[in-house]
Amino acid sequence: MNELATRLAGRYGARDWHDQRKDLASVAVDVIRIRDVLAWLRDEEGYRHLSFATAIDNIERNVFTLTYALRNHEARQGLLIHADVDRDDPTVDSIHLLWGQAWTYQREMKEWFGIDFPGSPRVDEEFVLEGWDGPPMMRRDFDSLAYSDATYAERPGRVTHDPAAHMRDRLFPEAAR
Amino acid sequence: MDLKDFIAPFAVWKRAFEKPFTVRKPIDERPGAPRYRGFHMNDADACVGCGTCEAICMNKAIDMVPVAGRDPEDGDSGLRPRVDYGRCCWCALCVDICPSGSLSMSNEYVWIDKDPDVFRYVPGVESKPWDGSPLGYRRADGYRLLDEDRVPMPETGPAEAVASFLELVKGYSRAQAEKEADRCVSCGLCIASCPAHMDIPGYIKAVRDGDMEEGLRLLYDTNPFPEACGRVCTHLCEDACSIGSAGDPVAIRWLKRYIADQVELSDYAKALPRAAAPTGRKVAIVGAGPGGLSAAYYLAMLGYGVTVFEKDEAAGGMLRFGIPEYRLPYPALDKDIGYIESLGVGISRGVSIGKDIPLAKLRKDYDAVYLSTGLPLAYRLEVPGDGHPRVLDGVAVLAAATRGEELGLGGRVAVIGGGNVAMDAARTALRHGARVDILYRRREEDMPADAEEIREAKAEGARLVEKAIPLEVRDAEGAPAGKAAVFVWNEAAMVQKEAGKRPVPEPIPGAVREERYDSIIAAIGQGPDLSYVAEADGVPTRRFKPVVDADGMASSGQAGGAAVFAGGDFVNDRKDAISAIADGHRAALGIDRLLGGKGA
Repeated sequence: MNELATRLAGRYGARDWHDQRKDLASVAVDVIRIRDVLAWLRDEEGYRHLSFATAIDNIERNVFTLTYALRNHEARQGLLIHADVDRDDPTVDSIHLLWGQAWTYQREMKEWFGIDFPGSPRVDEEFVLEGWDGPPMMRRDFDSLAYSDATYAERPGRVTHDPAAHMRDRLFPEAAR
Repeated sequence: MDLKDFIAPFAVWKRAFEKPFTVRKPIDERPGAPRYRGFHMNDADACVGCGTCEAICMNKAIDMVPVAGRDPEDGDSGLRPRVDYGRCCWCALCVDICPSGSLSMSNEYVWIDKDPDVFRYVPGVESKPWDGSPLGYRRADGYRLLDEDRVPMPETGPAEAVASFLELVKGYSRAQAEKEADRCVSCGLCIASCPAHMDIPGYIKAVRDGDMEEGLRLLYDTNPFPEACGRVCTHLCEDACSIGSAGDPVAIRWLKRYIADQVELSDYAKALPRAAAPTGRKVAIVGAGPGGLSAAYYLAMLGYGVTVFEKDEAAGGMLRFGIPEYRLPYPALDKDIGYIESLGVGISRGVSIGKDIPLAKLRKDYDAVYLSTGLPLAYRLEVPGDGHPRVLDGVAVLAAATRGEELGLGGRVAVIGGGNVAMDAARTALRHGARVDILYRRREEDMPADAEEIREAKAEGARLVEKAIPLEVRDAEGAPAGKAAVFVWNEAAMVQKEAGKRPVPEPIPGAVREERYDSIIAAIGQGPDLSYVAEADGVPTRRFKPVVDADGMASSGQAGGAAVFAGGDFVNDRKDAISAIADGHRAALGIDRLLGGKGA
């Protein structure tokens, strides 16, 4: 595997190779190289299978970390390709021409994180959130409470009690004087 | 067109009535995955109603509501969480944070009903089909969002401790205090258990925020003895702490001490509120222990002129004369008392009410009188020979140690009793180089002393003799008369006489033991001395205790003088400093109401 790490580093500037398990490793590349790296891995290194693609909101670093999971069935090896994209301008090359199913993952990432993949089929259509009008809800700065308060009516009958105040009223009401 | 093309559509029909190769498997059950996050379950008996689930819920899906049959009590608010599934997003943070570990989720996720209001219920109280499900989401072993472990307090080890009277507990550093304060979830269950109802979450937050002046202000709202209580309080709050329901309780007492230790006495006045304008009225207080001085502080804050009469040569009462300096160093106590005196409270030291000044004169010269004279009289052993000169009174030994007098305990010392005075006397004797036996009539777990005091006394080398019923004290043979004594006791067995009551020690016939000691320190309790209260003062007593109303008033004072209030060890059942402080505060407010003040 370290040979592959070396080749990836030499060709595409890949870094941070990490053996997660005996049969699974991860490596990071620049996002502008993502289509080239994936195509090369598919055509030259036997990683012909795209298991899935997803993203992680690393809000602390102001990036989304894209993650493509590839598999080499002959070598029985998995490889996770990570690529950070700027959270303020999350636009990434589409890979739907490399793997036909990739457009589905890209449509999901568009809806959930707001990451755009120009040219990807149906990328702007609703994926699972029918009628969603809020910001992408898998972004970590999405405030589910504020969204709920703004979108839905409060059900009547909700009432709560502060434990300390409840105990004071019941056990030592004189302290409230 | 080929004939085959023509026949093909019909050919499929030839197998229409054959048994299919596929198997019919209707979807009639949809079990969730074993750790699926489904509808909530709550062990309502383990739940303490702290509301931490409500606080962490990012969708405000949880309300804390009273439930039938659960009244608030120490360490349990009586409230239980109600989940609104119109809001819940099934994130399970409530399960992950739950201090008691009572909250969990079943793996049941299918629930159909036409009434939308049913999807809001109190788990564990309103029964549901999934209650008790072994499957579903539980907090993984070892995964805690809250820190179960208290920040260890730096303390002197027993071998070093017993060699001197230096303070054992060294106190938290800033980093340690802030880390410990971070363990608090601000539920406030502790407030009800504190006799003074201190704003504990408030002052712990002040530690977190690094705002010591705010912390000190919150302490003085309800307790003018933070240095003393930060060291020796019985900390009932920690027994009620929700974090303690499945871990170490937050070190509330040490955090209180941390705040008081951080602020110099000269800066107190800047942090604390100013006294109200003088009312022109005067209150006399008998006894300068924590209770009397607490009343003095709050009365002074309300604008009263306060004089405290103290029979001893120094103020502080049992905090000074009953608690050894390795637990409460005198400078810390002097700081608390010094601030109260700085407000203009006068303390007449060495003046005994009843001997030097009659109570009746105080009732004539002042607008109200507060009695807080505690329990000065030691109980005797009540066995033959208990008047032997080597039978000493525990409180007197501790007071002599405070005064720096030569104790002359000798090399072999017996301490009779199982309370904190017994432990303090034993540990004081150890520090004077004696070999010490502690003899107690019941078992170690029955001892009224704090568990940590018992543990420390044993660690410092005291030998514990349990189930020892005193029989007799004899003069020791072979020594000059009155210079050593033999203590005789009967070994006992614990007998459960009445169901639900604590077991009683019964002497085992013939199992009589004896041991020779240079000193025998009796520390089996103390009683009040009410000899200074005359019948004309109109203070009712029951079982040697002044009877007081909800304001601490014992006598409204129509007959011949000012009203008399009372509180502290000789009134309440807890007999600890914090209860005396609470009594003093209550009486101050009561006196203010009686004298027509604005109230606090």
